[in-house]
Amino acid sequence: MAAKESGIVIGGWRLLWRRQSLLWWVYAVNLILAVFATLPVVLRLSRVLNSSLAADRLYHGFDLPTFIELASHPDVALAAHVPGAALFAIVFFVFMLFLTGGILASYRQEQKPSRGEFFRACGAFFWRFVRLLIFMAIIVGLILLVGNRIRHWSDTLAAESPYEKLGFWVELSGGLLLLFILMCVRLWFDMAQVRAVAEDERKMRRTFLTAFKLTFSNFGTLFWLYLRISLVAWIGLLVGFWVWLRFVRPEWVWVSFLLQQAVILLWLGTRLWQRASETLWYRRRYPVPVPAIPPAAPPASPA
Amino acid sequence: MEAKKEKLRVPSIWPPTLLAAFIRESYCLEECPAVCSRGFGELIFRNLRNPTIHSSVATRGKGSILNYTIPREKKQMCGILRWLVYLAALWLVVTLPTQLDAVQRFDPPLSQRVVAYEIAARLDAQKRTIDATEILTYRNLTGRPLDTFPFHLYLNAFQPKSTFIQETRAYSPGFRWKEEYRGSIQVKSFEVVGIGDLTDQIEFISPDDGNPDDRTVFQVRLPKPVPPGSSVQFKIAFHAQLPLTLARTGYRRNFFMLAQWFPKVGVWWRGAWNCHQFHRSSEFFANFGTYDVRLTVPQHFVLGASGEEVASVNNPDGTKTVTYHAEDVHDFAWTADLNYRVIEDSWTGSAGEVKIRLLMQPGHLDQVPRYRDTLKGTLEYFDRWYGPYPYNRITVVDPAHGARAGGMEYPTLITAGTTWWMPRGLLMPELVTEHEFGHQYWYGIVANNEFEDAWLDEGINSYAEVKAMDALFDPERSVINLWGLTAGERWSQRFGFRGYADTDPLVRNSYEFINGGAYGAVSYNKAACVLLTLEGLIGEETLRQALHTYFMRYRFTHPTEEDFLRTVEEVAGQDLRWYFNQAVYGTQRFDYAIYSVRSDRLDWFQKDRPAAKKGETAYRSVVIVQRKGDFIFPCEIEIKFDNGEVVREHWDGRDRWVKFAYEKKAKVISAEIDPAHKVFLDVSLFNDSYTTERHRGATGKLATLWLFLTQFLAQLLAWLA
Repeated sequence: MAAKESGIVIGGWRLLWRRQSLLWWVYAVNLILAVFATLPVVLRLSRVLNSSLAADRLYHGFDLPTFIELASHPDVALAAHVPGAALFAIVFFVFMLFLTGGILASYRQEQKPSRGEFFRACGAFFWRFVRLLIFMAIIVGLILLVGNRIRHWSDTLAAESPYEKLGFWVELSGGLLLLFILMCVRLWFDMAQVRAVAEDERKMRRTFLTAFKLTFSNFGTLFWLYLRISLVAWIGLLVGFWVWLRFVRPEWVWVSFLLQQAVILLWLGTRLWQRASETLWYRRRYPVPVPAIPPAAPPASPA
Repeated sequence: MEAKKEKLRVPSIWPPTLLAAFIRESYCLEECPAVCSRGFGELIFRNLRNPTIHSSVATRGKGSILNYTIPREKKQMCGILRWLVYLAALWLVVTLPTQLDAVQRFDPPLSQRVVAYEIAARLDAQKRTIDATEILTYRNLTGRPLDTFPFHLYLNAFQPKSTFIQETRAYSPGFRWKEEYRGSIQVKSFEVVGIGDLTDQIEFISPDDGNPDDRTVFQVRLPKPVPPGSSVQFKIAFHAQLPLTLARTGYRRNFFMLAQWFPKVGVWWRGAWNCHQFHRSSEFFANFGTYDVRLTVPQHFVLGASGEEVASVNNPDGTKTVTYHAEDVHDFAWTADLNYRVIEDSWTGSAGEVKIRLLMQPGHLDQVPRYRDTLKGTLEYFDRWYGPYPYNRITVVDPAHGARAGGMEYPTLITAGTTWWMPRGLLMPELVTEHEFGHQYWYGIVANNEFEDAWLDEGINSYAEVKAMDALFDPERSVINLWGLTAGERWSQRFGFRGYADTDPLVRNSYEFINGGAYGAVSYNKAACVLLTLEGLIGEETLRQALHTYFMRYRFTHPTEEDFLRTVEEVAGQDLRWYFNQAVYGTQRFDYAIYSVRSDRLDWFQKDRPAAKKGETAYRSVVIVQRKGDFIFPCEIEIKFDNGEVVREHWDGRDRWVKFAYEKKAKVISAEIDPAHKVFLDVSLFNDSYTTERHRGATGKLATLWLFLTQFLAQLLAWLA
């Protein structure tokens, strides 16, 4: 069983590698949109920083009071740029929602689809996935509501308890539980999307319910598959942060940039790796039916 | 005589105590209490459980002790031990006069000792109440007869219609009233010795805002005045209900912090009574005097208090009574908690040994060195810079988590605060410990009116905090040094006041600032920056000398801001009114800027001029410096040229702008106001300098960070897709 699972994860990795152009496109769009969101910030920062010696306090280190003064400087007003960054994030979210159908269709097929086939699949599944998203939003909303109540309860427990660490452990346990539940829900909807593409399903409510049965009847296998790849992303983030703190000098802007981009690429890559592995799992469990070969017609007898 | 007995203190390192402790440990004397039931020996052995000699023999002769049967094999050993006990007791008797001296007494007194409080209070830990009696002896040193006496009743601040709660709500609209916040103090009886019961004469007044629902100040008019030079004695019985901690007062689970908890008489100051209501943005003001306080609490509680513990008695009802004595202080606060772990240490300064007592939460024991080292370092620097610490002890309280009682100062007792996860790079425990200890000098000893001149203690203390933290840690990292982020103390002070640079002057009643944020920003941060800038003006050593003079001259008194400012001028030998009028009494905005920097070739008009050559081409360079704010201050300007030449200019800063022009075979590459970074009042750091060559490093760094965060946010959101 384990060998079979690891085969899926490795197979997913191979699939990701074979369709790596998808990852590069996604990354490129992510980067370009973020650059657009960052440009106004750069322009404002450069007005204040480029000709001031005080900039040294941010270049040769990161002096927090100086940064906060800069952020609140009327010519910079960093907080005013947060909505721009959020807007970019929403655009990227919509872009990914649009792209998911094409990505899953691409992973579903043995052969790399043509550009036309890819975008046809994107368009064909976009609205179906929007409907699925609405279902998911309702469920995630309910979970967050419960999570909020748990947090409130744990806050009270922590405040009233004579043991200071109790609150921390309660909060941590609650957070991990919430994360686990959210991962389960994500996995469920991942499988719904995989199934919708595989079966060209139009009725999303049926997909939603079928995917529930599918996910939770194979929960161990699917969750372990999902979790391992998630751990790669989290470990990569922590290692990147550690390397940045430990080895990257404050003045090495380009090195910081490359490290940051490597982390972004890793996170995007691991997400697509999860998608590829889930599709592969589904493909192995429900192989694409081989079209029946019609019996050979008897040779026409000469008239 | 009885009182003297109660003040007898036996340090735990005394030979008899050590000997007895050794005997107990070695021969299980806990199981052999019969040896204790004999005269003085009892006194010694009973106190082995507590290193303090008990003041009475009330514990003698418990039935269970008398009926105890001594095992045969231990009887011989007990006989030997009895002799050892007698020897120890003999040693004690011989050295008794020396030991009595162990209680710190100031003779002559360090202060005028206007008041003497004797309080006996009993804490009901279940009901969170206090029942107490107070005898206040007031010496009329005002030079005139007094017939009216105002008193603080500060626990009444914790009621929804009080001025304190109204102000809290106004400053923090998110504040929600909880019934557990309700606190109160009720005077059950008020008697004036020689006059009689005047409980009926109690009249609540609201001198600051006229709020009829505020009951934090009352006054009593005596039927006959107290003549100047004579004393009057008040006997007050009161009952207090403690709130869930608010303003560092009250309870949280089994933690109690008792501050501003007893009826306290106002201060006759500047020819009138000074007795303000309890405000949200203010601290306190009280008379110097002596305190003898007997606290009765459940036995398992660990206590800490202002002053010195002089006696402790275990009562038959499961409580204990601990007596404290403090002199030449102006307040008395105490704390009790079931969980405190006591860490003791000492430090020796120019006035002798200071005993350090840390009351730590069990989960914070690994942070003891952080508290202790900072405290010792601060003691050392303050002793060297400003003057001797006169008291022989200091108690540091680490409050229970969630208690919201950290970061406050009381005479010889301060509350600090930390969390179990506090990283080394976040120097909050160090900062709070340093700051609160600093208040022992600026508030505790030099006792200005915190209602009316809050900056005198908070500001001077914040300045002293900068100096101490800079001396103890890396000045650029003395607040935060974590994950590549840094913050130094002086830059943090500067950052703190920028938002309120021109709203309020330093000299304003603390409860009359535009809001709570302004009170903090101006009284603490701006005042510290006023002194840092003053240091740049008159020199670090001169200002240190001025603070030393101010401390030595006004210790154990209630100075005003003019006392301080005149002392600075006197020591500096300069008329600094022009500065004080703006920085202390004014709200002028300090903002100098490099307006423009330009270098033009002298031959700019020639059509066929040769290509520019470094060191050969002549330029006319103009640097314009502008005063954008209304604060006038002399400026140093440093101008650098591309041939390495550096020119320093001085400008009196009076006009709106000034122009500096040069003709040199070099271009200006940068101009900077205050190149030595001596001015901390300037509200804008970024326009103080200008470089002709663009430096994109910092912009690039922040841009990549912003880019990454935006990408990461987008990628997280896309997880939902």
